[in-house]
Amino acid sequence: METAATTTNGADTASASNDIYPLALLMDELKHDDVSTRVDAMKKLDKIALALGPQRTRDELIPFLVEVAQDDEDEVFAVLAEELGQFVPFVGGAEFAPILLPPLEILASTEETLVREKAVDSLNIIAKDLSDQLLLENFIPLIERLANADWFSSKVSACGLFKSVIYRVQDDNLRKDLFQLYYHLDQDDTPMVRRAVGKNLPTLVDLLVENADLSTNQDWEFISNIFQNIINDNQDSVKFLGVDCLISIAKFFNAKNDQTHSQELLNSAIKLINDEAWRVRYMAADRFEELTKQFSNNPNHLNELIEPFLNLCDDNEGDVRKAISKQIPGFAKLINNQTIVLTKILPIIQNLSMDEMEDVRSSLALKVNDIAEVLTKDQAIEHLLPILLNMLRDECPEVRLNIISNLKIINDVIGIELLSESLLPAITELAKDGNWRVRLAIIEYIPILAKQLGVEFFDHQLSELCLSWLWDTVYSVRDAAVNNLSKLTEIFGSDWCRDEIIPKLLKMDPQLLKNFIYRFTLLSTLTALCKVVSPKVIASEILPFIVNLSTDSVPNIRFNVAKSYPIIIETLREDEDKTDYTPLITTTIDPSLQKLCEDDDVDVKYFANESLEKCKKLLAV
Amino acid sequence: MEMTDLEDIAMQDAIEEEEGTQFKIDKENGGTANSGIMKRDLNINELDEWISYLMKCETLSENNVVQLCDLAKSILQKEENVRNVNVPVTICGDIHGQFHDLLELFKIGGPAPDTNYLFMGDYVDRGYYSVESVSLLIALKCRYPDRITILRGNHESRQITQVYGFYDECLRKYGSANVWKLFTDLFDYLPITALVDNKIFCLHGGLSPMIETIDQIRDLNRLQEVPHEGPMCDLLWSDPDDRGGWGISPRGAGFTFGQDISEQFNHTNDLELVARAHQLVMEGYAWSHGENVVTIFSAPNYCYRCGNQAAIMEVDENHNRQFLQYDPSIRPGEPSVTRKTPDYFL
Repeated sequence: METAATTTNGADTASASNDIYPLALLMDELKHDDVSTRVDAMKKLDKIALALGPQRTRDELIPFLVEVAQDDEDEVFAVLAEELGQFVPFVGGAEFAPILLPPLEILASTEETLVREKAVDSLNIIAKDLSDQLLLENFIPLIERLANADWFSSKVSACGLFKSVIYRVQDDNLRKDLFQLYYHLDQDDTPMVRRAVGKNLPTLVDLLVENADLSTNQDWEFISNIFQNIINDNQDSVKFLGVDCLISIAKFFNAKNDQTHSQELLNSAIKLINDEAWRVRYMAADRFEELTKQFSNNPNHLNELIEPFLNLCDDNEGDVRKAISKQIPGFAKLINNQTIVLTKILPIIQNLSMDEMEDVRSSLALKVNDIAEVLTKDQAIEHLLPILLNMLRDECPEVRLNIISNLKIINDVIGIELLSESLLPAITELAKDGNWRVRLAIIEYIPILAKQLGVEFFDHQLSELCLSWLWDTVYSVRDAAVNNLSKLTEIFGSDWCRDEIIPKLLKMDPQLLKNFIYRFTLLSTLTALCKVVSPKVIASEILPFIVNLSTDSVPNIRFNVAKSYPIIIETLREDEDKTDYTPLITTTIDPSLQKLCEDDDVDVKYFANESLEKCKKLLAV
Repeated sequence: MEMTDLEDIAMQDAIEEEEGTQFKIDKENGGTANSGIMKRDLNINELDEWISYLMKCETLSENNVVQLCDLAKSILQKEENVRNVNVPVTICGDIHGQFHDLLELFKIGGPAPDTNYLFMGDYVDRGYYSVESVSLLIALKCRYPDRITILRGNHESRQITQVYGFYDECLRKYGSANVWKLFTDLFDYLPITALVDNKIFCLHGGLSPMIETIDQIRDLNRLQEVPHEGPMCDLLWSDPDDRGGWGISPRGAGFTFGQDISEQFNHTNDLELVARAHQLVMEGYAWSHGENVVTIFSAPNYCYRCGNQAAIMEVDENHNRQFLQYDPSIRPGEPSVTRKTPDYFL
């Protein structure tokens, strides 16, 4: 607010006296000794430009910024680079946009990565506004200059700019030249440049997928050579980018229904999966489903991937196993062959479920349930169930939580009864975990479980547990327990709540209720349930209890009673049976609320008066 | 250990710099005086809005800080040196600018005003979010004066904050020392001790050889910078010790005091307990002097590296006490990958 006011003032002064005040002030602040002042000044650049108008922005501000871009700190550069991306309107629209390129070109050549990245982003934004002709005359030469510069920093930036031009160049020869330039960058001595080439290649190829008729064989010769260079690079950090490149390239040919390169690509994929560098294998494992999907139209090719897949599951590096663990069900579905799933994949799941690394097991637990989809009920019971039961007893709570959070599919295939014997102890155990976030997590899964398992399973086993969570020592757990009960009531209905929950709540241990925290929780629970139970239950069960709490010795309870009243009235007014609760309200809530408005405590008085206003409005309707 | 002796020159510089930037701010505003806006009374809705804003770890504008501190001053100056606090209340120790852990504290103990809180000082310095933490606590204090009590710690001082981070943070986040000046001027008004239902005596540091009865504290003039010595200094600086009697504090201010001293003090003043903060304790709380003194520390993984738990003490309306321990908050965006290769990896 403050800065907005300041700059509007500045703008007014400028237009009124028509002098160079804002620019002078900016220049002043940009010469300030303190970097943070200069950074703040830079952030106001758009407002200054607006005040100056397009003509003066072009004539005065931009030349000044070109100077700034050569002599300041990286923090200031970063803001400048970002601001300039939004500057097309300030210089008078797209036809004048090329004037923004020189300062950004300087910034795109700086040493600091952050500045360069912002400059490249801004250049790409501006490129969208440039006409084809301006792109040709200004933007492509800029890329060429950066690509042929001496320092790696400029070349890295150049790699990030191709995506703005490639798909807009209709002239085949010119596009070939651009790919040749990109290929040239790929042969750079510094791995940083080669990495930039690898990182940007998938985007370029994806653009060719979108513009399927654009590229020629010449282009693809270069792409293919670049790809080969990447996957044969002597630096892991370049090589591992080959996985994403391969996915994009395969997508291109699949989109064209062209299978001629399929075998070649498969060989490259297998080479990457089996690479000696763990980071390359990690990348292959992390993208495994996406990668193998590209070969799914040829069963033989898929079969060739099984062995490499099993190798990844058995990798020496924990991170690789962790990554592949999430991809197993997806791959199994692609293979869609029960024999292979039973003889090869399930044994490997069995192994991973006992992996020495917690991260691997918990990653496996995230998706392992989905494997049931490719099994028959009997197969799932015989082979998958024992693994799941074991995982439900894992020493790491996250493993158990991940299994429990995704039980629907298991229920659909084999029914929950077979699991229930292990499920309940697992839930109970998690509910007692020393880490309150684990307790919180299991409570938040309960409504999902309830939907999947049904009221039967629930009543007998879990309602006691759900109630016990209300008396947790940690507020957030109690709060989640309150929400849980109202969500369960939404699922099982008001009658269930009236019969199963409310009587137990109202018969709370008086010893426990001596502590105001638990009276507070009880009050919160009953108030929350008001929104989901029938008005009849509120009138007969809940309201008397709450009115009783309005004379509590602790002010915090009293003002929360006051806050509950409007909620109760709102629900009573929405009664479907059209019972008129007005007499009840005037004889119970009304006097109680009036009394609270006269309370000695300031906060009780405040919230009571606020509630009184709300109630009046509700009753007036 | 922290030392109190600081050069006055640093202080002088700070004041000069602050005056210099004041001029700049005026110029930015086109030279118009905005004191009219600053003096305007705050309403409750505005405060509620600020609180919800501060809860998101945002900072208030400088003008809003002026308003907030004005309001806080008018509330705090009516409070006694020994603030009477009713049960139930949740008692908390050092926060030290660990804003996300302060939010974690509210997740554990419950939100204000549903839970009553007593904070025993050291809201600023060390952590990265002193401005946000202290702004939030003061805003809550202003909104719910009867539900929240905030005492002064030894870090609520002009001198200490110039060394341990709050001054620099204000400068960084506001571009001038104005906000630091506003807050440190306000700190002079914070009460220095609290008495929970006449039974639990709460303060930041510890006892003073010059204070035998709580009534003596009521007679002190607290509206000043924390002095280098004397009873007010001791209350904010002292530590309990295994050795009996009074000892010289390695901190350079305050004293160490033994079990005999605490027993005598509790007996003389008919107290159950002295609750204090000021020292890092690995479990978040620690008993000393045979349950005469408890130390509560509410900054988990202090300075983002000590590996300690934090704790708060809930006292219910029947004087039952419960300690709740907690770990650092989980912050979104923190990497969960076990091994990340740095960008410069070649």
